[in-house]
Amino acid sequence: MWVWEYNCVEMAEGNAEMGESMENIIEIRHLHKSFGAVHAVNDLSFRVKEGELFAFLGVNGAGKSTTIHMLCGQLQKDSGEIVIDGKDQRHEMDAIRASLGVVFQNSVLDKQLSVYDNLKSRAALYGIYGEEFERRFDGLDGLLGLKELRKRTLGKLSGGQRRRVDIARAILHRPKILILDEPTTGLDPQTRQNVWDAVDSLRKNENMTVFLTTHYMEEAADADYVVILDAGRIAAKGTPLDLKNTYTGDFITLYHAKESEVASLEVQYEKLGIMKGKGKVEQAECKNHTGKEDTEGIYRIAVPDTAAATQLILAHPDVFADYEITKGKMDDVFLAVTGRAGQEGEN
Amino acid sequence: MKLKAMIIRNVKLFFKDKGMFFTSMVTPMILLVLYVTFLGKTYTDSFRAAVPEGHMFSDGLIEATVGGELISSILAVCCVTVAFCSNMLMVQDKVSGARNDLLIAPVKRSVLALGYYIATVFSTLIVCVVALGAGLLYVRSVGWYMSVSDIAWILLDIVILVLFGTALSSIINIFLSTQGQISAVGTIVSAGYGFICGAYMPISNFGEGLRKVLSFLPGTYGTSLLRNHAMRGVFGQMRADGFPAEVVEGIKESVDCKLYFFGNEVTTTMMYLYLGATVIVLIAVYVLLHAGTRTRK
Repeated sequence: MWVWEYNCVEMAEGNAEMGESMENIIEIRHLHKSFGAVHAVNDLSFRVKEGELFAFLGVNGAGKSTTIHMLCGQLQKDSGEIVIDGKDQRHEMDAIRASLGVVFQNSVLDKQLSVYDNLKSRAALYGIYGEEFERRFDGLDGLLGLKELRKRTLGKLSGGQRRRVDIARAILHRPKILILDEPTTGLDPQTRQNVWDAVDSLRKNENMTVFLTTHYMEEAADADYVVILDAGRIAAKGTPLDLKNTYTGDFITLYHAKESEVASLEVQYEKLGIMKGKGKVEQAECKNHTGKEDTEGIYRIAVPDTAAATQLILAHPDVFADYEITKGKMDDVFLAVTGRAGQEGEN
Repeated sequence: MKLKAMIIRNVKLFFKDKGMFFTSMVTPMILLVLYVTFLGKTYTDSFRAAVPEGHMFSDGLIEATVGGELISSILAVCCVTVAFCSNMLMVQDKVSGARNDLLIAPVKRSVLALGYYIATVFSTLIVCVVALGAGLLYVRSVGWYMSVSDIAWILLDIVILVLFGTALSSIINIFLSTQGQISAVGTIVSAGYGFICGAYMPISNFGEGLRKVLSFLPGTYGTSLLRNHAMRGVFGQMRADGFPAEVVEGIKESVDCKLYFFGNEVTTTMMYLYLGATVIVLIAVYVLLHAGTRTRK
């Protein structure tokens, strides 16, 4: 345990010395990769800053895994440049590998071996042996609770326990970049939360850069920067806030309002529920209404942006007595971006 | 140290994967069943029939002769089929994705390749030496005519055959990448190798055309070397018992101790040279093929 804490302090001091300016730790320029007639990655360029949580999103077959395989040196690129931690992938792949930790979508450790044997064999590939390995194993125990799993056969662990071991394997050599390829797919909410607690701890204490692919958009909502890929090209990029502002509108949720009042606003709205006494809500059918009933309920009004929301509220202060304004979700962004890209492709 | 870690991992995986281990034992088990059910009796009868009038085969000698043939056959197939099954880890790692995980680390592909090779040799040697021990105990119980040098030669034969089986399987495994291919190759090798190396049935029993084809295969000579060393003692005893030299030579020929390449007798030295050269060539091919498949395209 003390080893882990010691290392956290050591890393934190190192980061402080480096200053606050965030350097690009991954730079990809004009990357191309084709499989026969399929252009899987098409002129892809982006950067990942040191210490950030970078979300790399896209529908299945968008080119995410191909990009990750090229990033890790497991797949040859057709053209383009990949620079990781200031090192050109063409010349310094071994050094780059030492700075990468990967949690694969499916556990790829040896199911017949114990947790300890698995980690020991993988650690040796990074030159970590003997007492040094024992220290690191003990150090990871605090973060991932490995000691209770030490002698257990990997194949007999639950999905969540196996994920903990996968993360331990990925960070055993203290990489600068942790690549998480759909790390929480198939896990229950509690286990997903545990996985994210561990990842957050690594980011906070070790300033580890996290490169994430996921199909859970709420996980991407916490990212510092998001790239959405479609058909091998970047369809959208920016912070989650930028993307929400660009690709979705805002929503005003109105409580204790009569439908006639909401209808008088002459905007599109959706009835979410009916107020039934104090604090009780009955679910309403989720469809747009034109305003013929006059029940008190909860309504959601879509507006283009926050300014429009403000304008509407100021114009009708009598209607907006109890309300909240929310941004669109990353799900909406993803659907808007990939749906639009799909339509453009069809056209 | 990286190589050592890979070897330990691969050996542990072979012995912990019960499916892989028992698959590798299928051919030796078939052979054992064949001998117990009818082959043993067939050979006993044929050896008795080969004895000229006025001479007697003692029960111990005849049992030792059949026993020598049995253990040489089992070892001949074990060395290759166990090597194939053990080395299937190369392919299973591709199927399971473990290979990607290993290659994420800063480890040379040559270290991984060598790790598979050495681990397979090591695992196969363990199984074969245990099989040899069991075989020797059996022979000891029915009639012992072997010397220490015979056992040393058998160990050398095992080492060469294991190196051969491992090199051959390494080359084939480079081209495999699915579970179906693993099963197919495993089945073909398990079912077929016993026939083509002369373990199930001596090659001398086959037709001339097939004998000529099989005389090109290195495995044939591996079986013959094992036969020669496992049965040298009993042949010596036959001579000591006054059996005519042509009768002993006839029996040696009938159990593949003497092999011919287009009519020319192949000596044991030539067998070693051929097998050794084959191992070197196969390893060289493995290295070249491996060098040609560095990163997926």
